[in-house]
Amino acid sequence: MMHLLRLLSWPLLALAAGAAIVLVTRSNSLLGMFTQAVIYAIFALGVGVLLRQNGLVSFGHALYFGAAGYGMGVVLTLGWLPAELAMPLVLAALGAAAFLIGLVIVRVPGIAFGMLTLAIGQMAYLLAARARGLTGGADGMSIPWPNTLFGVPQSVLLQPSVLFMVSWVVLVAVAVALACLLRTRFGAITEAIRDNEERARFIGIRTTVPRALVYALSAMVTGVAGLLSSLNTGFVSPENLHWSVSAITLLMVVVGGFRKPMGPIVGAVIYFLFKDLLGEYATHSMAIFGAALIAVIVFSPDGITGAAQRLFQRLFQRKKGEGRA
Amino acid sequence: MLAVNLFNGLVYGALLIVMSSGLALIYGLRRVVNFAHGALYMLGAYIGYTVAMHSNFWVALCVAPLAMAVVGVLLDRYVFQPLQDHEPLNVMLVTFGLLLILEDLVAFIWGKANYSLFTPELLAFSVRFMRHDLPAYRIGVIVVGAAVALGLTLWLRFSKAGLFVRAASTDPVTTSMQGVNTDRLSAGVVGLGSALAGLAGVVAAPFLSLSPHMSSDVLIDSFVVVVIGGLGSLAGAFAAALLLGMMQSIGAVYLPEVSVLLPFIFMIAVLIWKPSGLAGSRT
Repeated sequence: MMHLLRLLSWPLLALAAGAAIVLVTRSNSLLGMFTQAVIYAIFALGVGVLLRQNGLVSFGHALYFGAAGYGMGVVLTLGWLPAELAMPLVLAALGAAAFLIGLVIVRVPGIAFGMLTLAIGQMAYLLAARARGLTGGADGMSIPWPNTLFGVPQSVLLQPSVLFMVSWVVLVAVAVALACLLRTRFGAITEAIRDNEERARFIGIRTTVPRALVYALSAMVTGVAGLLSSLNTGFVSPENLHWSVSAITLLMVVVGGFRKPMGPIVGAVIYFLFKDLLGEYATHSMAIFGAALIAVIVFSPDGITGAAQRLFQRLFQRKKGEGRA
Repeated sequence: MLAVNLFNGLVYGALLIVMSSGLALIYGLRRVVNFAHGALYMLGAYIGYTVAMHSNFWVALCVAPLAMAVVGVLLDRYVFQPLQDHEPLNVMLVTFGLLLILEDLVAFIWGKANYSLFTPELLAFSVRFMRHDLPAYRIGVIVVGAAVALGLTLWLRFSKAGLFVRAASTDPVTTSMQGVNTDRLSAGVVGLGSALAGLAGVVAAPFLSLSPHMSSDVLIDSFVVVVIGGLGSLAGAFAAALLLGMMQSIGAVYLPEVSVLLPFIFMIAVLIWKPSGLAGSRT
């Protein structure tokens, strides 16, 4: 009972914090920035789950981020389905495609896997940039969202505070769903495979399918972020698919710390906060991010959350949290 | 038409040879997938541009690689060496951070406009070959690529330093136990690899335009080359570079819609068939 209560208390606290942010923040542009941070936090959760559960680095997750937007754009432009139905369907299609791709590519170890994802992602980018017609080539396409979504009129939905709250709720839901899923047998199996694939095979676990499933899962989480982004901007372009988007998100994951479930979220929030703060003073924010990335990796390879945990432990001299350090 | 495309494929292949042999050398010794290599290429091109504006192209062709060699030695001494015991992923991300810093630095110094360098006068003519006019400069690029490939092969095969490099690429620990100073060797090799990136930058400047984003395309193509060839294998990289250049330019004739995808499709096929690459034994 206590366990369940603790499990439930975090999401409720998080939701309350989101509402507090909306109430406190007066400026709409700031809320817009927060919304973007939350969307990228979901994206980073997707990249992070692949790294944490599979030990695999993807340089091509922008593929799923952009593909979600393109999927919605195409389905809505052609008027095949109502938007409410199209969203889960696009996600399911992304998951299925990622599972099939995963079945092939998770067999490739280490750095070569990263290069493969980079190649697949860049293929999608080049295709989207060159394909004329429906998807608008390099100019991108705007997404004809219907006037009401789940009974909510667009004018309400697109208010910064509403959009922020929607994204925030989705973020909390995704984080909770991932946490629950990874506590199951599935989570244990994938961790066993990550730590030693050969041993996992010896004790009778089939290793390819679970890893492909994690890949599909991470793609779908990224797809959720892509859907939110396409709702937020109403637009999708090849830039969403570019490898630098994948790399920047990977940067957030590593800076936040991928060993902790919260790490990617922390990384994304820090990235956008810094970007906003620096934006007013310097046009060279990317160089500063590069330097920050190097500093974090050199001084705290398990990211900011790892450093925070160590600091916390030192301050309170508690021998807690020996779990997965 | 086909002959001209074959020729252009050869030119791009030669450029990729110069780029990717540097990447492969650095990977062989340091086990680092160096994203900063693209930035060094770009920096080489820009430095070459500035030097060429103030004197001439041939001075630039010497100065830029030398400057990049110095950068490379510093890179090894102050980045790769202290990070030796870190996870490869983390070092890879550090080089990505360096790429971001250097790209910004270039945009800061030279601005975001596109530049292009004039073809040096000495080579501003064309050669008539089988009823086609081939620009002499591009023939020069092929010669540079061939010279780099030949030079590196001979150096690795027949010199003492080359022997050390081959040994350290196979097993750095045993090599240093035999009395080879692997840190100094690595500094030299990373310096050489970076100089090659700078050389590629200068050589490319007259026929590809200069912009702060120029690193990305060539970097990704060289990654593809190095991965197809087998990480750390020079011979594999040479072969893959030529294949890739050919594939792109011939694809542009027969399969114009998908020609840009061909290298990636080829890479995916090779990696699925042989995860360590054409000539690789390591992963």
